[in-house]
Amino acid sequence: MVLPPFALHRPTTTAQALSLLAEDSVPYSGGTELLLAMRMGLIRPTALVDLKRIPEMQEIRTDRSRLLIGAGVSHDRLATDPLVEQHARLLAAAEREVGNARVRAQGSIGGNICFGEPRSDVATVLIALEAELGLANSAGERSVPAEEFFLGPYWTARDATELLTAISIPLPCAEGVYLKFQTVERPTVAVAAVRRPGGDYRVVVGAVGEVPVWADYPGVGEVDPVDLVGRTSPVSDLTGSERYKRHVTEVYIRRAAELLAESER
Amino acid sequence: MTAAQPATGHDHVVVAADVNGVSVTEPVPTRWTLAQFLRDRLGLTGTKVSCELQVCGACSVLVDGAPVSACTYLAADIDGRRVQTVEGLAARDQLHPLQRSFVEHFALQCGFCTPGFLMMAKALLDRNPDPTEDEVKEYLDGNICRCTGYEPIVAAVLDAAKRMRGQA
Amino acid sequence: MSVERRRVAGQAVQRRDLFEKVTGAATYTVDVTPPGCLHAKVVRSSRAHARILGIETSAALAVPGVIAVVTASDLAALFPRFGHIIPDHAILAMEKVRYYGEPVALVVAENIVAASDGAEAVQVRYEDLPAAMDAEAALAPDAPILHDDDYGASGDESFSEMAATPGLPDHGDSPPRTNVAHTVDLSWGDVDAALAQAHIVVENRVHYPMLYAYAMEPYNAVASFTEDSLHVVSSAQHPFMVRTDLARIFSLPLSRVRVQVPYLGGGYGSKSYTKIEPLAAVGAWVVRQPVKLVLDVEEAIYTTRADSAAITVRSGFDAEGRILARAFDIVLDSGAYADNSPLVLAKAVNRCFGPYRVPNLRVRGRSVYTNTSPASSYRGFGAPQGALAGETNLDRAAAQLGIDPVEIRRRNLVPPGGEILPGKRGIDADLPADLELVAESLQRDARTVPGHGIGVACTASDAGAYPISTAIVRVQTDGSVTVLSGSTEMGQGSRSVLAQLVAEELGVPIEAVDVVQSDTAMSSYERTTGASRTTTLVGLAVQRACADARAKLTEMAAEIEQCPPESLAQGDGVLESADGRKLAFGDIISRWFGGDAGEVTGVGTLRRDGRTQKMPPFWEVGMVGVEVGIDPETGVVRVDQLVTVADVGFAFNPKAVEGQDLGAATQGLGGALFEELVYDGPQLVNPNMVEYRVPRMTDLADKIESIVVERGDGVGPYGAKGGGEGALNPMGAAVANAVAMATGKWPSRLPLTPERVWRLVNDLPEVDAE
Repeated sequence: MVLPPFALHRPTTTAQALSLLAEDSVPYSGGTELLLAMRMGLIRPTALVDLKRIPEMQEIRTDRSRLLIGAGVSHDRLATDPLVEQHARLLAAAEREVGNARVRAQGSIGGNICFGEPRSDVATVLIALEAELGLANSAGERSVPAEEFFLGPYWTARDATELLTAISIPLPCAEGVYLKFQTVERPTVAVAAVRRPGGDYRVVVGAVGEVPVWADYPGVGEVDPVDLVGRTSPVSDLTGSERYKRHVTEVYIRRAAELLAESER
Repeated sequence: MTAAQPATGHDHVVVAADVNGVSVTEPVPTRWTLAQFLRDRLGLTGTKVSCELQVCGACSVLVDGAPVSACTYLAADIDGRRVQTVEGLAARDQLHPLQRSFVEHFALQCGFCTPGFLMMAKALLDRNPDPTEDEVKEYLDGNICRCTGYEPIVAAVLDAAKRMRGQA
Repeated sequence: MSVERRRVAGQAVQRRDLFEKVTGAATYTVDVTPPGCLHAKVVRSSRAHARILGIETSAALAVPGVIAVVTASDLAALFPRFGHIIPDHAILAMEKVRYYGEPVALVVAENIVAASDGAEAVQVRYEDLPAAMDAEAALAPDAPILHDDDYGASGDESFSEMAATPGLPDHGDSPPRTNVAHTVDLSWGDVDAALAQAHIVVENRVHYPMLYAYAMEPYNAVASFTEDSLHVVSSAQHPFMVRTDLARIFSLPLSRVRVQVPYLGGGYGSKSYTKIEPLAAVGAWVVRQPVKLVLDVEEAIYTTRADSAAITVRSGFDAEGRILARAFDIVLDSGAYADNSPLVLAKAVNRCFGPYRVPNLRVRGRSVYTNTSPASSYRGFGAPQGALAGETNLDRAAAQLGIDPVEIRRRNLVPPGGEILPGKRGIDADLPADLELVAESLQRDARTVPGHGIGVACTASDAGAYPISTAIVRVQTDGSVTVLSGSTEMGQGSRSVLAQLVAEELGVPIEAVDVVQSDTAMSSYERTTGASRTTTLVGLAVQRACADARAKLTEMAAEIEQCPPESLAQGDGVLESADGRKLAFGDIISRWFGGDAGEVTGVGTLRRDGRTQKMPPFWEVGMVGVEVGIDPETGVVRVDQLVTVADVGFAFNPKAVEGQDLGAATQGLGGALFEELVYDGPQLVNPNMVEYRVPRMTDLADKIESIVVERGDGVGPYGAKGGGEGALNPMGAAVANAVAMATGKWPSRLPLTPERVWRLVNDLPEVDAE
């Protein structure tokens, strides 16, 4: 199968990149989502704006009380980077399980988020870690909490002329478990259960519905799987009917909460 | 080679890359995948294409040492980089230990998935020279073989790792 | 009973083709691009069943680089269809399309990018017709009829011989057309009377999924015309069968059609018979330049899949669990064109009741046209479908009677030499002994914990296809040997096995033997590569060719030595004269011809006579056991133990036999646990390898044991018989039986996905009411 035609831009600064973005001139990094969608004819941009030559998009650093991750950083780097392992172990753990080794080497965290694929491992974890997503356009910058970024399947808070520049995770970082039920390439249900720095708990349920849902609890014993499942909107597909997905989600929320409780003992 | 659409100034790019130790400088259409470039332009047909969705691993090659799916990777992106394909594994008449081990363990039958498995196994052993059996399975889980049932592939990779450690 | 170890045959020699394959040097069809080659892309139907009102090609022809757009109207001078049993398959859809994905036009261009852009620009106008998307709908009284013509269908003699009682549908003079493509019935004894007297009667109904073989190399072909000869390089298992179809299309003598097959990137039956060769060939015929056609995986799925099946089985048993009678009703969903489904049906009928003493039998089989991707051969060939019905039925009976599943099989399996099909070859295997091997291995490591279960299943397949084979060995002046065979190397290792055989027979080093295969112009004739026949049947032909070469060498040596031929003794690569001199084969040839040149050609042929008179040529054993563990909360099935018996008579290359066996078992596990093509409306929901999930490395069972059994009881060289499908055939049934033991509930449908198992455990319906 061949790709449709497109022009390729290779800016070296964020400002250059921003000047090139338009409705049909789209950001491009690893291509693991974009190129597939183009080949299947789902989208047909006239131009790709390659972000891989912008140095700051590739940075991982800490800045005062935050871990800053450039949007172009690959899954594999996040899975193995010492800074990430030190400050955001849960993210590193989830990144180790994204796709397969090639997707991890090729794909970027920013691309994963901005594509708005509902079955994203990363989205679930970033909400658990209360990450902030830095968006820039030619007029300026804004920061959107991960909780507010995912609006629907393949639909995020990013405007077509905006660029996701960095992911910012507050430190100290929440710690916990990431558990997923997966039978094909992407998770059917993903659950992140964490103890937040303030001492309370958050459980995020991703992949199973159109967007992740979450709830906060004062104690891990108070996690209510049935209530949380009620907030999801599972869609029947080949990996399971709505009924089955609700059931498995409940099982996985319970298992994640148990694992978290166990890890604290 | 002409693209189907009129040129817009960016629909071709020139790539300068090191492919299996050979310097290559070629203009390529932006819409070409690395698999197309390797197979159709450079004649390196060892890299096979199958699922075209990054799940089967048949087209795995290494770019700057990292494994990628050549079916879903723009040829334009190898510019300035080093590409390794199955054709570059053996040193002249000396098979790479992985290649030798695959033959000895019958870790292939039809062979269509094999170039991809070899390149992925190389990527694994380059970063982890002494993997456990589970680590091999986890890392190669993104490569499909329809002939062997996988057991001999796991054995071949572990055996090659042992040999390579012995050499080092 | 054991077999004799030999010098080369029976040794785990390294397969020489593997060296080429690990370096990337091995050539597959997709790697073949002749000079001046054009590239083609198929325009495919976007409807399941529709009349074609018009095909607009001007926009496509305007795409730079596009040379031609071929449609059915361009083929008026040709025989525009193919199909070896029923020639129903239009090369390009004529008047109407019968399934989503059917080829409607072929765009030929200077490069693949232009061909693809051109294909996108072709506009086809349709008028939708009512569609029959599954067998039930196709059999309904008011079903839309797919085919209005019977195409003069006639199975040839070999087809008739492979089906116990074949029956192409006889519609009489004024045909009331139905969607039944083919029927096969088989019966003996008085089933109704036996069932009436049975201690228990056990009935169940099963559904076997629609599968995709996923040979990792999809279908590819390169065609060119030179003068009035056609040359096709193709990913075909049976080049000689493809040649016949192509010769009919272009009205060419067989000798002017050359079909050449390089390495195949997997076949598993899915590359049997003609697929896309006619498309590439009509492209080349129109433009008079070489044309290459490469399919992607989605197109491959819409080219051939395996028949899904709905089977009802009813069996009567006495109080000790002995089978008194069995009745089966088999309906195969064969898709829009017959391809090889009539034979798949015949085999499902022959194989469904198992290798048991069945005193009374009645099987009714129907292969049904539906508006879906055409179904055809796939490894196992009707056996997995039938076994799911028959073998789960047996376990149900065992449970009702309080008999162990292994024990009920012990009481019913045919003994060595026993008859399975009346008048056919008796079983050339010791099935009871094979069963004990599986049972012992499973028991040794069994875990008796809740959520775990063991399942066994057995099959015996009338394999080998029809015994027509030829082989040529050419002995060179240096004593090396070139072997010509029309059998295709598709990963199974035939190139290596045939070299071993020749090295053994002629007593030459294996390094001195080269095997050239699958070229209708250059190799010898071979009917097919399938049904596990190569080692056995091609092996016999090659063995005879070696004997012929030795006989000729003996004559020549007698002439130059001026001695009686009987005085020369046969040795390894030599003849020995009465006075003890060793006459090397090469020297004999050089001396006989003079001038240090020449060669000796040995010819071997095989047909239905002598030891291969009785059909089938051999029975292929499928004897497997699994232990599974089930997560009761999610329904996930994990395979703890996988035990298979490769009962191959004589293992030419034990490691290769194990590899084939484990590969077959793993494909079987795919159909048991993961794989299923799913239609929703006119098209498939999952025509891709993301959503069509096949076994992966982390699915590997904790314990894998492939027991190679050699009793020298096959008809082939040194007592060999076929292998490589056996372990797939009963695998679905074995997994279903294991899940039944683990859950206490009887599955009726594969694959056993987590949700299906969860529903089973919780007594929930297969699907929720809307």
